[in-house]
Amino acid sequence: MASILRQITKTLRTSSNRNVVACNFARFQSTETSSAQAPVETRPTVRKSDPMQRTQLKDFGKYVADCLPKFIQKVQLTAGNELELLIAPEGVLPVLQFLKDHHNCQFENLADIAGMDVPSRPNRFEVIYNILSLRFNSRIRVKTYTDELTPIESCNNIYKAANWYEREIWDMYGVFFANHPDLRRILTDYGFEGHPFRKDFPLSGYVEVRYDDEKKRVVVEPLELAQEFRKFELAAPWEQFPKFRPALASVEEVKTDKKE
Amino acid sequence: MSGAVKRATGLTGLAVATNPHKALGTLYGKILRTLQKMPEHAAYRKHTEAIIKERSEILTTTPAVEEVEKKINCGQIEEVIVQAENELVLSRKMLTWKPWEPLVNQPPPSQWRWPPAQAVQQR
Repeated sequence: MASILRQITKTLRTSSNRNVVACNFARFQSTETSSAQAPVETRPTVRKSDPMQRTQLKDFGKYVADCLPKFIQKVQLTAGNELELLIAPEGVLPVLQFLKDHHNCQFENLADIAGMDVPSRPNRFEVIYNILSLRFNSRIRVKTYTDELTPIESCNNIYKAANWYEREIWDMYGVFFANHPDLRRILTDYGFEGHPFRKDFPLSGYVEVRYDDEKKRVVVEPLELAQEFRKFELAAPWEQFPKFRPALASVEEVKTDKKE
Repeated sequence: MSGAVKRATGLTGLAVATNPHKALGTLYGKILRTLQKMPEHAAYRKHTEAIIKERSEILTTTPAVEEVEKKINCGQIEEVIVQAENELVLSRKMLTWKPWEPLVNQPPPSQWRWPPAQAVQQR
């Protein structure tokens, strides 16, 4: 049994090696010239990087930034092969409409809209659109930002799927979407107050719900913790998260020629 | 499939086009006329004009629909028509959005920095 397995893995390994060689060859033929050639990844548990795909994604990012210089602030590749467009909040509709309707994009499916809360930033919320092009079999991510009060334009007229996603963002983060047809809470309970995915929302919530035997019904009461909330000082003299440094190798900015 | 009448596209809600050459020709004409209103240097105009001119060139030179589909290589002719309709709507909207202008506003310096912990000064 073990020998059979070894045989199979051996053939798999050789075929994958051949693919990598083919990709490298293709890259030499492409116009993009990169100075340092990445070493061929042979470890089976480490994600393979595809230089051809990276070049294509970079070119596409440059193309979009070239077409829409008014709205695109930055283009980057994350995790090797995920293209991200970082845009100004005014440009949500133009960028999404362009990505949906342009001949070379055709990102017709909205896979998801996500939110993110970083309280240390002046615009603390990020709104992230993940869209998919079935025609070209590719995905792209569009990120924009806002604060607690500034509304973001709803993209419900472009992607019908955005309706519930935007309600979810509104419910969880309190980001307001202008011109949304039906902006109500969607996930939290009746009479719920606050936006639970905000970083300043307490882990335990504000109220607790229990069944009251005397009143014969469920009652909602302000939360009472059995133990006083304690703040522990856990700072240590050494670096806690050595991987949490600014120079992260997984993010690579794609240079776009901006006319200043 | 030469000579055989195409009965369905196989795609829900997409009917077979009766005269695709005419439909596509008018659509491409409309798109080009809309693009004329944009400034010369606009990259969107340049790229879109290149695509549309290439496709209408194929359209005018080849009478057979299957040949056109094969040369454009972007799905069936009905899908190509839908793409052209989308592009037309987009180009008309682009006239109001004017995406060729310089960047509307710069992000705050710490906006796209990750990880955000670095925003706090290290002692």
